[in-house]
Amino acid sequence: MLELKEVHTYYGNIHALKGISLRVEKGEIVTLIGSNGAGKSTTLRTIQGINRPRSGTVLLEGTALETLPPHEIARRGVAQSPEGRLIFPRMTVLENLEMGAYTRKDKTGIKDDLERVFTLFPRLKERIGQKGGTLSGGEQQMLAMARALMARPRILLLDEPSMGLSPILVELIFDTIVTINKEGTTILLVEQNALMALSIANRGYVIQTGEIILTDTAPNLKNNEMVRKSYLGIE
Amino acid sequence: MRNIRLSVLFGVIGGILTFLFEGWSVAVVGILMGISLGLAISGQLKRKEPAKLALDVLPSALVSCGILLILSLLQNYVITGVIGHSPAPLEVMIPANLIGVLGGALFLLITVALHGLSEGQERIGRLVLLGLVVIAFPFVDNFTQLGWTSLIIFSLIYVLLGMGLNIVVGYAGLLDLGYAAFFAIGAYTTGILSSQQDNITLNFWLVIWIAAAVAAVAGILLGAPTLRLRGDYLAIVTLGFGEIIPVIFLNLTNVTIKEPLTCWIIPGVERLFGATSKLSCNVIANNLNLTNGDLGINPIGRPALPFIGTFTSNNTVPWFFLIILIILLAIFGINRLRDSRLGRAWMAIREDELAASQMGIDPVRTKLLAFSMGATFSGFGGAFYGAYIAGVFPGAFQFSTSIIILCAVILGGIGNIYGVIVGGLVIETADRLFLPALKDFFTNLMNHSVLPALASQKTLHDIVAQNANPILYRYLLFGLVLVIMMAVRPEGLIPNAQRRMELHEAEEAPNVAASTSVKS
Ligand SMILES: Nc1ncnc2c1ncn2[C@@H]1O[C@H](COP(=O)(O)OP(=O)(O)OP(=O)(O)O)[C@@H](O)[C@H]1O
Ligand SMILES: [Mg+2]
Repeated sequence: MLELKEVHTYYGNIHALKGISLRVEKGEIVTLIGSNGAGKSTTLRTIQGINRPRSGTVLLEGTALETLPPHEIARRGVAQSPEGRLIFPRMTVLENLEMGAYTRKDKTGIKDDLERVFTLFPRLKERIGQKGGTLSGGEQQMLAMARALMARPRILLLDEPSMGLSPILVELIFDTIVTINKEGTTILLVEQNALMALSIANRGYVIQTGEIILTDTAPNLKNNEMVRKSYLGIE
Repeated sequence: MRNIRLSVLFGVIGGILTFLFEGWSVAVVGILMGISLGLAISGQLKRKEPAKLALDVLPSALVSCGILLILSLLQNYVITGVIGHSPAPLEVMIPANLIGVLGGALFLLITVALHGLSEGQERIGRLVLLGLVVIAFPFVDNFTQLGWTSLIIFSLIYVLLGMGLNIVVGYAGLLDLGYAAFFAIGAYTTGILSSQQDNITLNFWLVIWIAAAVAAVAGILLGAPTLRLRGDYLAIVTLGFGEIIPVIFLNLTNVTIKEPLTCWIIPGVERLFGATSKLSCNVIANNLNLTNGDLGINPIGRPALPFIGTFTSNNTVPWFFLIILIILLAIFGINRLRDSRLGRAWMAIREDELAASQMGIDPVRTKLLAFSMGATFSGFGGAFYGAYIAGVFPGAFQFSTSIIILCAVILGGIGNIYGVIVGGLVIETADRLFLPALKDFFTNLMNHSVLPALASQKTLHDIVAQNANPILYRYLLFGLVLVIMMAVRPEGLIPNAQRRMELHEAEEAPNVAASTSVKS
């Protein structure tokens, strides 16, 4: 469904992605793990069109995305729950969710999806009229994810959805990811919390200073010596 | 307690106005004071039975109208003496004060009592009340010979401009410091198309639409180079645009327009094939003076209607209702826009452009449409303005005009269309009506009481004589008001609910809790 081929992305003359190639098949959860500054967020930003690859190509079901502006990419069904969340701080929870469905015109479908995200995140329903900016960090994280879901994306990019959350919430978020996936959304998941990510993903990629150094099925990665040492913190 | 403070404030403001305008003014001022105080107070009251509410504000009515009466009497019997005017006769004083004080109190009670009805009914009640005031205003003004209507019309033009700018600044969050450029474009388009300047004299009812369309296109042209810019940088570019446009109009005094087909395209094709032309170039206009430079375009054609005939300067009533009509249409249109998909896209762009683009919003299109829609309204405003003063002069579109419009938006309550209306009215009325009256007041005071007393001290006398003119301090006073407003009420006079919450989160929190508990 989504494929990156030899993608090179630069910030000025910082070479952040040095030829990333990866694939996400329809219906999969694929995780991208790596240490700080490895280029995980940059990979997602490149898919979203926020950063342009200097060479290489990004394909969504065969169409090249790398020349399209971000809003066009969003309209083609790529949604992101970004790092730093990027919710609309002065809009209410409901307004934020409605913005997520901005490109959609099927009123009843939007209503159904609203119910669906409220079932996934009952906390958001309680806070429906509260300003996004006044939500707690974890609630903002939920809102960002719920808003991305409101677009009914073909592929959902999640950038560290567990960041800054309490263990219970992390659990909840990961359960939700699995639920969303079972309902048919393809997911590319970027995580620091590699153990959790690998336990729900089908496959994984390990990225180090802008390069994919390892890829395998999630269970294999979990047992990989190097992964255990560097990313799972298990000797 | 807060209501009493407001009552004192409104009473004093009303009283001071009677100092400046004398005579019948107390009647008009009293009623306007009653309604505006009522609107200000009822926002802070809980809904209960209308009669109880009316009873509750009886003290406020007493205080505000009492102060008004005392000051008005003080004006008539003491102040007139100091400034060398004669007091108004009893046959004016008695009815004027009765109407002002009793009418003011009555309207205050009615406005507050309306708050006891349901929200929808209250809105209708207020609309009826304000509608009556607006409809009666020019006629009452004629009767009392106050001569306010002709000046209020300028305020209303600024209200229209403020509403347009509010789309750009308030809704889309793009700081535009050169908005007067679009005003100029509207006015000059009207001037060029309906004066003897270039032998094109179209009907006003057509021209006003053309002016709006031209301004809309100009909005896109300005928008285009600013799209990649944010915040401060955008402001600087709009500032430049605001300076360039009036200069362009100033210099459109020698324009030659050639028809492209016969002058360039056909000769070009012919040259390509080595033929020589027998066609002569069609010059549409030669050395045409479009704008008449510094002197401006004058006179400009005016609107005409069946029954009413051509609008004239002597009868301001049709002008007043025309601009009111334009404003009503603008309110309707802007409210529709705000609630549309485009409106939501503006809000999203204002909040966070990157996030908005991830929602599938095209930032380029959205911003261009904001500039363009905003400009449209000043196109209407410019056309009306040109026709109303029957001329267009380059001095009217300077940087200060842009700033005053921007201040009207901020002062009134950025993002809230009703706030912007109040802001435009307050600022321009203060400028056009209040300051000149204040100047006359001071001149009279000086000539009659102060200067004679200073006759022996020549230097002091001269200094006072030269400087006792509030119009000299126009921008100083304006600046002071802004500074005070921003310190005391940064959210504007009638803020948009969101912004008030942000700026007064701590203070308002208990209120919010209280009002939700009342509802449930
Ligand atoms: N806007 C920028 N300008 C310059 N360099 C940048 C910029 N954004 C990221 N980088 C650099 O690119 C590299 C990859 O950054 P990226 O944000 O993709 O890392 P990451 O894998 O998401 O890390 P983390 O887990 O800490 O979020 C880092 O070295 C970072 O310093
Ligand atoms: Mg990151």
